[in-house]
Amino acid sequence: MTRDSSDRSGADFFEIRFESIGGLGAHVAGKIVAGAAVLRMNMNGSHFSSYGSEKKGSVVRSFIRLAPADRSIRTSAPIEEPDVIVVFHSGLLAHPATLSGLKADGTLIYAGHENEIPEWLKRVPKSAKVVRVDAQTIAFEEKSRENAVLIGALAAAVPELDRQAVCEELEATFAGKNGHIVESNGRAFKRGADEAEIIENVGRVEGDVPTMQSHPAWGYKSAPIGGVLPTPGNTAYNDLQTSRTGWMPVLARDKCIDCGMCDMVCPDLCLVWSTHVDADGKPGVTLDGIDYQYCKGCMRCVETCSTGAITREAELPGMADELRVPLFPGLAATAGDRHA
Amino acid sequence: MLDQASAITSGPVRQVHDFKSGNEAAALAARDIGFHVMGYFPITPSTEVAENLSKMQANGEHDIVMIPADGEHGAAGICYGAALGGGRVLNATSSQGLLYALEQLPVQSGTRVPMVLNVSTRTVSGPLDIRCDHSDIYFVLNAGWIILMARDPQAVYDMNFCAIRIGEHADVRLPVIVAYDGFLTSHQKRRIERFDDADAVKAFLGEREDPYTALDPGKPVTFGPYMNDPDLINNKVQQHEAMEAARRVIPEIFAEFAELSGRDYRTVDAYRMDDAEVALMLLNTAAENAKEVADRLRDEGKKVGVVSPNMLRPFPTSEIRSLLKNVRAVVVGDRGDSYGAEGGNLSLEVRAALQQDPDNQTLVMSRVYGLGGKDFYDADAEELFREALTAAETGKVEVPFEYHGAYAGDGDAGPPQGLPPISKEEVSRGMATVTPNPETSKLEVELKPLWEMTTTPSRIAPGHGACPGCGFFPMLRQAYNVLEGHIVVLFQTGCAMVTTTGYPKTAHRITYIHNLFQNGAATVSGLVEMYHERVRRGEIPAAPEGEDITFIMVTGDGGMDIGMGAALGTANRNHKMIILEYDNQGYMNTGSQLSYATPFGHRTSTSEVGSSMSGKRFHHKDTPQIFAACNLPYVFTASEGYPEDFMRKMSKAQWYAQREGLVYGKVLSFCPLNWRTPDDAAQEVLQAAIDSCFFPLYEVEKGSTHITYDPDAIGRRRPVADWLGMMGKTRHILAPGHADQLEMTEQEVEKRWRRIKIKSEHPEL
Repeated sequence: MTRDSSDRSGADFFEIRFESIGGLGAHVAGKIVAGAAVLRMNMNGSHFSSYGSEKKGSVVRSFIRLAPADRSIRTSAPIEEPDVIVVFHSGLLAHPATLSGLKADGTLIYAGHENEIPEWLKRVPKSAKVVRVDAQTIAFEEKSRENAVLIGALAAAVPELDRQAVCEELEATFAGKNGHIVESNGRAFKRGADEAEIIENVGRVEGDVPTMQSHPAWGYKSAPIGGVLPTPGNTAYNDLQTSRTGWMPVLARDKCIDCGMCDMVCPDLCLVWSTHVDADGKPGVTLDGIDYQYCKGCMRCVETCSTGAITREAELPGMADELRVPLFPGLAATAGDRHA
Repeated sequence: MLDQASAITSGPVRQVHDFKSGNEAAALAARDIGFHVMGYFPITPSTEVAENLSKMQANGEHDIVMIPADGEHGAAGICYGAALGGGRVLNATSSQGLLYALEQLPVQSGTRVPMVLNVSTRTVSGPLDIRCDHSDIYFVLNAGWIILMARDPQAVYDMNFCAIRIGEHADVRLPVIVAYDGFLTSHQKRRIERFDDADAVKAFLGEREDPYTALDPGKPVTFGPYMNDPDLINNKVQQHEAMEAARRVIPEIFAEFAELSGRDYRTVDAYRMDDAEVALMLLNTAAENAKEVADRLRDEGKKVGVVSPNMLRPFPTSEIRSLLKNVRAVVVGDRGDSYGAEGGNLSLEVRAALQQDPDNQTLVMSRVYGLGGKDFYDADAEELFREALTAAETGKVEVPFEYHGAYAGDGDAGPPQGLPPISKEEVSRGMATVTPNPETSKLEVELKPLWEMTTTPSRIAPGHGACPGCGFFPMLRQAYNVLEGHIVVLFQTGCAMVTTTGYPKTAHRITYIHNLFQNGAATVSGLVEMYHERVRRGEIPAAPEGEDITFIMVTGDGGMDIGMGAALGTANRNHKMIILEYDNQGYMNTGSQLSYATPFGHRTSTSEVGSSMSGKRFHHKDTPQIFAACNLPYVFTASEGYPEDFMRKMSKAQWYAQREGLVYGKVLSFCPLNWRTPDDAAQEVLQAAIDSCFFPLYEVEKGSTHITYDPDAIGRRRPVADWLGMMGKTRHILAPGHADQLEMTEQEVEKRWRRIKIKSEHPEL
């Protein structure tokens, strides 16, 4: 299949792509923004998300294609060369696919803590507008979700959208629920719009970000017939770090009695044990730590720990790498690979 | 919904703008049509039709009787029965669901009973793929149903109205399918217009008039007699004539619909075909993409157009012949192959249609594209147009048939190789010692302390894609801790299957099989018998007693609805295997629809809560008691929140499965996403389910019942309300005005608990 990058087929559309993980509300956010455009701004539009069997915590893309009211929208294909990309979790910036196809004069909005400027932002076009908003903190403080903050930032940053219309659609979406959800979403939206800040001079790319071409690992000449996988346990190469949403379990070795209860309840099979022989000759085990490559941050280990040895802690950048105890030392993870 | 949409009028009837997906449009049409009955079973991507209708029903927006079936075969039966009663009937399905219903479809068309089936098209297994192609709808071409194609959400809405009129027409009397692309249309929101004039809609639809119904005792009739030759062929001529009549009726109904709505459908959608020399023929969404490309190629001066049938049955043969009359080359794209036929069904039928025209000179190329939901971009349409343009210019077809968009692979490249196999010795560590007690003839189990189990190599690898907090993996880990030796597992379709085997990765370090959840138990029973037969023939070395391969069929609670027949057959044959059910109280893989294991009153996406409905309408299925009635050697219940209890039972299960026959175990398994609890609330929620006696922990060993944890006896009994108050899906039951529901739950729980207790007190029960 040829893909000529000079061929800007969607030139007369205004296209937005959300890059997120399941559970942060990207799909609903996309529905709200597109709904605002179609129902309140007299535009034509379509909205859809990348569905698979992905579960909460895995990569989700949501697409908004807008056009003037008299322009029919016929294509249903995913958006490859967006005018705007909104990244719901800064960890996703590490994947090249996240920024794929961003137009030179496009806009990137990302959820990041104060002062957080990931090095990956160098992949953004020089001429693009880059906006950061601390969606996680605002959502936490306002008892809302990241999506309300981010669409606030989006509505404020992009002149094509009418901030009031998006806000009204947000309210209408949650109108059936109890009043405090509408209010907290409204506050989160407003703070997102007001507190988003423009980050200057981070992009290094001349022109558009190239559209990423990706191929499956196997093709019809190389894959075993019948879809058979003769590769036992190769999900061990997956890196699920982005499934955590700001919190991680942390082991305090000095409080741990190695009872094994946490191992019974850990869904992610990421606790690392070793065996030893005591001074008196009795065999024993030690919980050496947690392999954060697999930990999705459910905190069931914390819930079950009777001695308070594992606790729920805010995850700061770099913390997981520092505290990680690898379950399979020497095994190189495929960053961000989580196709369920 | 009305308040969000602005009023417009484009046809003679009042309509409003809205922003809806195909599934939403199908549900809105169902509401506006006012069907009598919907029989359905969840399957991605069509499930949302029932979900949206459930939501609307909870808000009192319609009174369609919604019947959740045990499977698509059951759903088809429900719909057939309901339609025999003379009212309007609706169903929605996809993929394997359509194939599972397939056996019923000719019954309904052959006996001439109209209804409407929305098919959100999806690839058929295997391997399982949930995305769009047309391999499912192609299977139905011979079923005798009218098949209308809907290219966008607007068409989905509109075709449902037309389907009623076409199917119920006195000259037709056939059931009708409305097929639209899974995800691409089913889940993509577009601007639509919908009716806001109930009287006009009613006038358009008219009343259903049946020459015969099963609900008129004053006029007794026999439906479905035993009919051999020489009569059946005559029945089929009538059916053929009905389909031929539909050729005439469909354009008439489309014309009437255009008067009502202002939207004019043709049997074949032809775009820029008037002077076209080259054409691309595609179904549904891909054709719409191709129109964008056709515009650009026209700007370059290329005379191209797009042809896209709005119906597959009857096949618009003469329309296609006349559209292609002056076309020099056409590429027909099929989103589904008819393996070995050198073309997909659409291209085969186009070739057949053209062959009837002796003057036709059109060059036809067949391309299979977009299988399994592979995206179809403008660039793909352009490439297909270019192939047709080349053929038109050169006057010859280089490649009559091939796949478009497949990938050959890159030499030795592939996914990571995986982890080394786990040896029998590594996992046979004596974590549970099982000893028969000669006095009681029951088994006794001694477990090693939990800490010792932590270093048992896990037969399941990390890196799977389940939600945070998922209860399935603790359950599996606990089971694997005590199971010894070699194991072969089969997972029926469900969360655990999907999250552990996303191609090209697998979390399974042992041999694993997937089969669809109608049939996992039967599949394993066949494998077990093959194993023992090959051992008997000396083709596989015999193992010492108790060390045969252990075969386990893993299923969700949903798999014990649709797969109940196969599971009971397997149980009745008493094969040496284990059926292990993780019960998370719903079809969680497809987005939390009710299963028969969902308890009474619980909120799911097909048992919504609102002013007119309050969760599931009937009590949960008592699956362990059903299996106990099969007189199996061992049946148990357990919870992943009670590891020691579960692991004891699992080690007994292996002992019995090695020596005596089939074991069934049901394990209560935490689902924070759809139970609407925090991810780390497993212990307290599972504990409350057990302490309230909603989920008693017991076993039925060689026919006698033994309660392994008795909350009454140790003073831990709690009200059911404590448990219901912990989950977002049940909190409404505690609200004022729901006292009846709470009381009915309490009564049912108490009734079942007392029955178990009485059984446990009598050695022969």
